[in-house]
Amino acid sequence: MKREDLAALTAACAKCGTCRTVCTLYPERKAEIAVARGKVVLVEAAASGLDGDAEALQEALSDCLLCGRCERACPNQVSVEEIVMKGRGALAEELGIPAWKQVVFGKVMPSAGGKTAARAAAAASQKLFLRKVPTESGLHYRFPSAFGLSGRTVPALPGESFLGSLPRGEAVRGEVILFVGCVFDHVFPRVGRAAYETLRLSGKGISVFRDAPCCGLPALVAGDRPSALRCVEENVRRLSDASPERIVFPCGSCLVMFRRNMLSLLPKEHPLYGDAVRVADRCEDYASFLLETGVLSRLPDLPKSERPGRIGYHDPCHLSGTLGKGGEGREVLRRAVGDSFGEMKGADLCCGYGGTFNIRDYPTSAKIGQNKVSVAAEGGTAVIATACSGCIFQMRDMAARTDPSLRVVHIAELVSQAFSTR
Amino acid sequence: MDKQALSALREVFGERLDTSREQCICYSYDATGKMFLPDAVAFPTSADEVRRTILLANERLFPVIPRGAGSGFSGGSVPVQGGLVLSMERMDRILSIDEENLVAVVEPGVVTETLKEEARKRGLFYPPDPASLKFCTIGGNIAECSGGMCAVKYGVTRDYVLGLEAVLGTGELVRTGVVTVKGVVGYDLTRMLVGSEGTLGIVTKAVLKLIPHPETIATILAFFRSNHDGSNAVVGIIGERITPCALELMDRTAIDCVRENAGLPVPAEAGCALLIEVDGPKESVSAEAERVDQACRRYGAIEVGRAADAEGRERLWTLRRSISPALRQVNPVKINEDIVVPRSRLPEMLAFLADLAYRQNIKIVNFGHAGDGNVHVNVMISGTDEDERRRADEAVAEVFRKTVALGGTISGEHGIGIAKAPFLEMEVGPLGVSVMKRLKTCFDPNGILNPGKIFVEEGMARR
Ligand SMILES: Cc1cc2nc3c(=O)[nH]c(=O)nc-3n(C[C@H](O)[C@H](O)[C@H](O)COP(=O)(O)OP(=O)(O)OC[C@H]3O[C@@H](n4cnc5c(N)ncnc54)[C@H](O)[C@@H]3O)c2cc1C
Ligand code: SF4
Ligand code: SF4
Repeated sequence: MKREDLAALTAACAKCGTCRTVCTLYPERKAEIAVARGKVVLVEAAASGLDGDAEALQEALSDCLLCGRCERACPNQVSVEEIVMKGRGALAEELGIPAWKQVVFGKVMPSAGGKTAARAAAAASQKLFLRKVPTESGLHYRFPSAFGLSGRTVPALPGESFLGSLPRGEAVRGEVILFVGCVFDHVFPRVGRAAYETLRLSGKGISVFRDAPCCGLPALVAGDRPSALRCVEENVRRLSDASPERIVFPCGSCLVMFRRNMLSLLPKEHPLYGDAVRVADRCEDYASFLLETGVLSRLPDLPKSERPGRIGYHDPCHLSGTLGKGGEGREVLRRAVGDSFGEMKGADLCCGYGGTFNIRDYPTSAKIGQNKVSVAAEGGTAVIATACSGCIFQMRDMAARTDPSLRVVHIAELVSQAFSTR
Repeated sequence: MDKQALSALREVFGERLDTSREQCICYSYDATGKMFLPDAVAFPTSADEVRRTILLANERLFPVIPRGAGSGFSGGSVPVQGGLVLSMERMDRILSIDEENLVAVVEPGVVTETLKEEARKRGLFYPPDPASLKFCTIGGNIAECSGGMCAVKYGVTRDYVLGLEAVLGTGELVRTGVVTVKGVVGYDLTRMLVGSEGTLGIVTKAVLKLIPHPETIATILAFFRSNHDGSNAVVGIIGERITPCALELMDRTAIDCVRENAGLPVPAEAGCALLIEVDGPKESVSAEAERVDQACRRYGAIEVGRAADAEGRERLWTLRRSISPALRQVNPVKINEDIVVPRSRLPEMLAFLADLAYRQNIKIVNFGHAGDGNVHVNVMISGTDEDERRRADEAVAEVFRKTVALGGTISGEHGIGIAKAPFLEMEVGPLGVSVMKRLKTCFDPNGILNPGKIFVEEGMARR
């Protein structure tokens, strides 16, 4: 690994060790190589020519949830996530993307056509390989052990995606664009639908992207920077053309890609850089948009809850931590469900998903996730509401493993419910 | 390290021995930022594994370097001569907390804050509170005899270690000290091991003293015009026969770093600040806080703030806490010393430091635990200017000479390690060094344990 830009980033680290206190992974690994300081020094060493085995380094950098807790605790504002992602990118250039990541990301992410194909393939394989798990919702399926992912509960892919379900001509134009994101479009289209319906209550024209490209985050964290860049370019181009007033994200991870990562991925001299800055400026989270437009003030006051505090809010690392939007999600819940909302135990614990991390090391990811949901359940939470697709994906799987009565929902689903029942 | 040594170690540790370049890089540094690669890293989970390791090391003559969290400020856990790093972080169980006898028994890898919290849950108090308490380990604290904010009232790690289990450099497992409050049987081997920086033995278990948790705490922040007023107030408060549980001083250089983002308004003319805490039963705390407040005003405080609840306390502390992180804005490279002078000589020391910075044309930021005369002297340099580096080294040497001349010590809590080894003799004299070296030979005849630390030329040939 060469890279002066990496050396400049790592130089900020004082090697104090503060990041050891907050690392999501450290309690599982109990080794310095898991924490930010270890990774920063590894990248620093590699950038200065002291690297050993590039594959081992790639493994070390892959072993990170990119939860950003270290970065937020760091007294020296070291950009740990950026260092890890750039390191992964540099190694991917050198070695290619690790095999386990190719399975997932191959060439499918950037183009919408490819994504639909991948979806069709995944749905077919689910029919062949998956068997139903006896849970209340009936929504859960489990990979058989032969798949090498034994015990994992994955949602059944519904027949139709959210965007696919919109009639032709609907939501093609409007001053606000809903960026629904892959997961809420294809895997949990009910969330996409709920977000769409509730945004429309603002009275603004809401439009969506047909054939929306991926936000690019999965490719970026996998180290596939060229694919991520293609996603970003297409998104920026299309969003600039559409020139909406606002772009609203039900998923915190897509949002952090647009608000932060996109700008570090595009070189400043890139012809789209200026457009990207303008696009980023207009991106906001679902909860903030609802609060700003006053949608929720139309709800009548709620009667006292029979089970106060049964609904909790989970802080998605990027949405609450990096972007500081933890308060907005809670406020939306407070308005939508009244005192049924209560602060959840361990609200800011990472769910353990970590994007590609979940695929790379499912047992560890599951251990962190199960701990997360059990702490919440023990504290009396029955419904976990949140606003990030990865967290929902992971916590539904974890709830199925530990406590199938625990529900995991997007705040939009509760808002939509509040409007339909009152 | 040779192949036989590694394969024998493999038998002891199995998968928990790692020789990969990546793992070795991760155990090559501590908070000083100095870097030396070990040949291997092992993660013991029992005293017996540590014992077998040291026996092997004596046979095949390789260095063994114990390491806690690597948060040390003197290079203590840096493997300057290669060898095996024994990372104690997986021996992290609290074995017992005896609420009747107020004694905790812990493994060395327990993080300091974890113990403090477990004690707190039982209404008990483990006082040592280094600023690194959220990540540093009890083993590291014992090896460095770490102190903290509350040392002025409660003392340092040494004052809470009743007994130890340790593997000596010979590979023998000893138990020292007592599990009782008193004990005078023979030489005090416990104190010998405390502060020995991993050069005499590897701590595998510690018996620690707990005390009842103080009922409440009050916090006072006072601004003064000058170091002169501030440091006189320190002497004055102590003279009042009040023992605060924190008495932190920030001089003008430190306040300047955080003036803009201290989280609270800082008077424009403030050239020194004191953060003072008193704890104890409710009634006496409010009376003492009042007396501290009065004393500050008497010594010329221009503003005094007080906090009674946790939130207000946090706000006052942000000033102190934001200094360390903000130092990088002064200059990227920090040379961090922690000298101590007798409390009454503090005004003189601070005046000397201001003059020194001026004479050497160099940036020095001073703050610290003034209540016990401990000043963190941070010489901030660019790291790219040769001449500045030379002036900084000269300045540090001058600081040490002045410290010793004032009857102080060159390290209050960070230890000697490699960073201060050249100055050891300046303080303890040739005879002191010689006695220490003779003691070292008793504990570790083959120089296995943490070679190259404390003493300048000490060490063993690498195989
Ligand atoms: C931000 C920051 C703030 C700090 N604030 C303070 C402060 O307020 N007061 C203070 O005193 N220090 C402070 N320190 C310094 C440091 O945290 C302490 O010296 C701490 O005790 C080191 O603990 P550690 O577990 O990190 O040990 P390490 O750094 O890993 O090791 C320190 C020494 O202990 C030895 N050692 C470790 N474990 C064992 C064992 N089981 N048996 C024998 N030897 C062992 C090592 O060989 C080494 O010589 C601070 C450091 C940082 C980074
Ligand atoms: S907290 Fe920040 S500066 Fe400290 S070791 Fe971790 S990354 Fe480096
Ligand atoms: S991003 Fe999360 S998992 Fe990765 S090093 Fe930082 S705290 Fe640990």
